[in-house]
Amino acid sequence: MKKLKPNTQVPLTNGQTAKVKSLLGEGGQGAVYQVAIDGKDYAMKIYTKKPKKNFVDNLEENIRKGSPTPHFLWMKWMVKTPTLIGYVMDLRPKDYVDFSKFLMAKARFSSWSAMTNAALQITYAFRELHRKGLSYQDLNDGNFFFNPKTGDVLICDNDNVAPADTNLGIKGKCRYMAPEVVMGKSNPNNLSDYFSLSVVLFMLFFNNHPFDGKRVSSVPCMNDAIEREVYGINPIFICSPTDDRNRPVRGVHQNVINRWSLFPKFFQDAFVKAFSNDLIHDKNKRMSDNEWVGIISQLRSQTIQHTCGYETFIDLAAPKATCFNCGKEVTMPLTLKIGSHRTILYPQMKIYANQVSSSADMFQEVGEVVVNKNNPNVWGVSNRSKDSWRVTLPNGQKLDVPQGKGFPIYKDVQIEFSAGKIGKIE
Amino acid sequence: MNPLEAVEIARRQMTLFFLVDTSGSMSGSKIGAVNTAIREVLPTISEISEENADAAIKIACMSFATDVNWLFAPTDVEGMTWNDLVAGGTTALGAAMKELNRKLSRSEFMNSPTGNFAPVLFLMSDGQPTDEFQKGLAELQENKWFNVAIRVAIAIGDDADKEVLAQFTGNSELVLTAHTPEALKAMIRFVSVTSSKIGSRSSGVGVGGNAGEESKQAEFAEQVQEFKEENADLDALTDGF
Repeated sequence: MKKLKPNTQVPLTNGQTAKVKSLLGEGGQGAVYQVAIDGKDYAMKIYTKKPKKNFVDNLEENIRKGSPTPHFLWMKWMVKTPTLIGYVMDLRPKDYVDFSKFLMAKARFSSWSAMTNAALQITYAFRELHRKGLSYQDLNDGNFFFNPKTGDVLICDNDNVAPADTNLGIKGKCRYMAPEVVMGKSNPNNLSDYFSLSVVLFMLFFNNHPFDGKRVSSVPCMNDAIEREVYGINPIFICSPTDDRNRPVRGVHQNVINRWSLFPKFFQDAFVKAFSNDLIHDKNKRMSDNEWVGIISQLRSQTIQHTCGYETFIDLAAPKATCFNCGKEVTMPLTLKIGSHRTILYPQMKIYANQVSSSADMFQEVGEVVVNKNNPNVWGVSNRSKDSWRVTLPNGQKLDVPQGKGFPIYKDVQIEFSAGKIGKIE
Repeated sequence: MNPLEAVEIARRQMTLFFLVDTSGSMSGSKIGAVNTAIREVLPTISEISEENADAAIKIACMSFATDVNWLFAPTDVEGMTWNDLVAGGTTALGAAMKELNRKLSRSEFMNSPTGNFAPVLFLMSDGQPTDEFQKGLAELQENKWFNVAIRVAIAIGDDADKEVLAQFTGNSELVLTAHTPEALKAMIRFVSVTSSKIGSRSSGVGVGGNAGEESKQAEFAEQVQEFKEENADLDALTDGF
C-alpha cells in the first residue's frame, strides 16, 4: 500500500476528518502518520494489508470500551473507508523514551524510585486491563515507553488487546511468550500475559533477559527452533538457586551480575518463584498482576533516600542494613505495619492512599516521614490526606492527627487510619 | 560503577557480508553506484540495529578482483563510515569463496561472545569468474554458516554470469539483475534493508511447529519476488551500464 501524502484528507467514522501532516513511522502491520483534526495534532495508524473482519470489529469494540487506564495509548476514533482501515490515537509526548533504549543503555532512569514507579504503573495498568476481561496477548519490550525522570509509563500497540481467550491471529514474540503458546497448545490469554509480564519486569530491573545466560550465549548460531526451545519450551532461569546451567556470563550479562544482590531477598524470591519450572509450565499457578503490585509496592516502601544522596534498598530480613552506594551502615529503621505491608520509616518515605483509606489509588501520596525542624533525631509522619488519623502513643495517650499535622515515630505507636485500616510501628 | 547505570543488554550479533566484485570492468558507473548505495543505506541499517534490543547488526566487506581482500571484519554498523571501493583487475570469485569459507567460523568472524544469528551473504558481480569457481564454491558449500545464511546476489549488467550467482545463492530467484546505476542502487538498498530486518529479528511464535532457518530464508525470498514484481520497470529509468 502506498504511503499517504501530506494534506490527504482521511474521513473518520465519527464524521470528523483527519488531515495527514507527515509520516511518523512504519512497522510490520502498518504506517503511523501525524494528523490534524480540528486544529489539534494526533497520531493515525493505517494498516498496510486490510485486516480481517474480526480484527476490525475488535478495534471498534476497544474504541467503544475506552482505555482501561490512562497509561495505555488507546485507539480513539476509527478510520474505515473502502481503501483505508486504521484508527486515531493521541501523539506520544516527546519526553517518553522507548524501552529498547533503556535496554541498550542509551537512556536510564534517574533513580530506583523512578524505575520502581514504572514497574508499578505497568503492573497496575495490566491488572486493570485484565479486570475488564481483556488480555494483552503480545506483551514485549516494544510496547513500553517511559519517562526516564519519573518512571511514568505509556503502553502502546494495543491493537491486539481482546477479550481473554479471543485471538485475532497474534501469537507474540518468542522471548516473551509463555511455553503453552509457543508450543501451540493454547492461544494467548491472561495467564500467558502473566508470564510475559514477569519477563518484562525482570528486564526492567535487571537489564537482562531472565533466560539469557551462558546456555544461550554459547549457542553459536541462533535459529527459530533453538529460540523456541531456550525461551519458550524449556527455559532455565539465570538466577535459579537450584539450576546453574544458565548462569550469567561475566562481561556479557554484567547488569544482572551487578544488580541481583542489591535487591532485598523477598524481591529476588519473587522472580525465583515466577521463573520456577512449576510456574513457567503450569499456567494456573502463575503470579498475577495483583501479586506483583503487592511485591513492587513493598519494594517501594523499602527504598530510602540515604543521607549520602543516593537511594538504597533496605532488606528487612537481613541482620543489618548497608547503603550500597556509600557502603555505610544504616541503622535499621522502624517500620509501619498495615496489614501485611511494611513501610520503612525513614525521612522522605511516602505513604499512599490505598494503604490508609478505602481509595484504590496506590500512586497518590497522603503521608510522608519528616524530620523535626528543631531536632533532626526526631522523626514523624505528616498527614497529607483529607482524613483525620487517630494515634495511640505507647503511654496510652490518644491524639487526633488531621490533615497538615503529624505524629511522632516511636515503637508501638498505633494509628487508626480510615476505612478501618490499622497501623502499628515496629 | 553506579548500578543504576547499566551496560548495554547482551545482544546477539547479525553480520551482513558485502561481497563485491571490484574487477576492472566494474570501474566507473558500476562501482560508483555500489559505493553510493552502500554509503546511503548504512544509516538505515544503523537505525534498524539501534531499535533492536535483541540483535546488533555488524557489517563486513570483502572485495575480490585479482586478489581477495577484507576491507574490514564484522564491525558495528552504528556510527560506521564507508570508504569507497576501487576497481581494477580480474575476477577471483573462486578465491573469494575459499576465503569466505575460512572466515565463516567460530574462531574467525563468527566469534561473538553473545552468539550469532545466521549471517546475510550479499554477492555483487558484473562478470565471469576468472579462476576456479566451482572448486571454491564446493568448499564453501560444506560450511554450516554458509548453509544457514540468507544468500542473495545482484548480477550487474548483462555480462554477469547469472548461473554462477544462482549456484552461490542456491536459488535463481535470489539473483537480481541490474542494468542501470539507478536499478543497482535501488536493489542494493532493498536487499540490505530487508535482509537486515529479517536476519536480526527474534523469532515470532507463529503457529507452532514450522521452525528453522527456512522461515527466514523463505520470507526473504518472498520479499525479493515482490520487489522484482513491483519494480519490473526499474531498468527503464536511466541509461544502462
